Amino acid sequence: MLSRRIYQFFLIYLLGLSALMVFKYGLNLSDYVIPGPGEIVKTGRMYSGQYFAAVLDTMVVAILGHFLSIVLATIVGVIGRLNLWIGSFIRVAAFNIQAYPIVAVAPIIFILLGDGLSSRLLIAAMICYFPLLLSIIGILTEPVTEIEHFFESTRRMNWRLQTRIRAFENIQKLITVVVGSATLAMVGTIVAEFIAADAGIGYSIRIALFQSDLAKILIALFFIGLCTSLYLVCLEWIGRIFQRRWE
Amino acid sequence: MLTGTGIHFQYPGTSTQVFRDMHFQLSSPGFHALFGPSGVGKTTLAKIICGDMGGYSGAIQTDGIDRILFTYNLERLPGWSSVGDHLQWNTPPDRRNLLDTLIETFGLRRCLQSRFARLSLGQQNRTNLARYLLQDFDLLIMDESLANVDEVTKETIILKMKSLFPQRSFLYISHSVAEVAKFCREIIVLRSHRKDPQVISLQGLDYEEGQALNRESYERTMLEMVNAF
Repeated sequence: MLSRRIYQFFLIYLLGLSALMVFKYGLNLSDYVIPGPGEIVKTGRMYSGQYFAAVLDTMVVAILGHFLSIVLATIVGVIGRLNLWIGSFIRVAAFNIQAYPIVAVAPIIFILLGDGLSSRLLIAAMICYFPLLLSIIGILTEPVTEIEHFFESTRRMNWRLQTRIRAFENIQKLITVVVGSATLAMVGTIVAEFIAADAGIGYSIRIALFQSDLAKILIALFFIGLCTSLYLVCLEWIGRIFQRRWE
Repeated sequence: MLTGTGIHFQYPGTSTQVFRDMHFQLSSPGFHALFGPSGVGKTTLAKIICGDMGGYSGAIQTDGIDRILFTYNLERLPGWSSVGDHLQWNTPPDRRNLLDTLIETFGLRRCLQSRFARLSLGQQNRTNLARYLLQDFDLLIMDESLANVDEVTKETIILKMKSLFPQRSFLYISHSVAEVAKFCREIIVLRSHRKDPQVISLQGLDYEEGQALNRESYERTMLEMVNAF
């Protein structure tokens, strides 16, 4: 049975496509501006395989970048929750850096690292890292007084126990944050590919844009939406298993 | 044993004084009470005594009390393990027998396999109190720690605590006139800061298991407590 997320994606995609057709036929636009349904289906048949492979390429980078940012944000978040100078420094730095649009830094990354995998991975990780870090720091710095009091007063509290208590009490929030940041990782990868990469669906969209071929872009959007929804469904499923096991 | 002298306290950012030149004293180990109407500052005083709250003037002096623990009735156990596992995990190895005794007395045997969140409020409070009794302490402040526990079980628990820990001190915060008058030795009645003195000390019956209860003294103590408000 398909998840609700997939149904929602199909519904939104069809609504978007219908809106385009209403525009096209309402304003009597040419096929060059907005292709007709026949043209879209034809393009779909021709390019589905190629675009699906490109989306999978992008997904692999996005998942790697996402995983990397989760690990990093967890490590830095655990340090950042400390009341020591290092914790304050990390919190202030994270708040300030996240206010800066990472996409603006992307050209520098491409100049320094070239347009290969490492640049795409780094940009994907950076785009979802800071929102993740801020959420994790927020969750881990919030005391759960009614549980922690016993361990504090009997001098049993240590950083591992404190992190465990706070993470456990906020497990649903953490799962939501991780799932939410997955979309950001996908966005980051596509943006990186769109700017300068030599592979992935963002790169394919850039070529379609140069050719002013909206049908190709619509096919690319279909596969991006479908694969992102599937990834989110997988993450929610993993989150549920994790939560059930822990509880 | 425990003395508070000239305590002044008001919460930051408020103009209302909680304590104004307040004095109190507990002279010996035993089961004592901190009693008073809601909002008078019992929990605040408990937190000041155990060192959880600063920002007051005056002095809290202790003699023969090194370790003060404070427990309250909204505390929770972590949800990742069962109550039994948690109690085992937090019991020093030399107190396994005490743990068994407390499990029986507190009626926790049926709760051991359950998660804390699944227990009733009374079971939760009993579990929480039991784990504190297994720790090192000279004075245990119990803020409504036996709330939602039925009267019979409450009596069993208090009497067992008194017999198991005769050399330790307890400061029991409760709104029940009857149980405070019956079980406690020294009763600190905390009154509004507008009243002078803010604290009145009374003697409770300090009832122990098997002892005959003097009805007349019992009623007189309860009346004194109510009048002290």
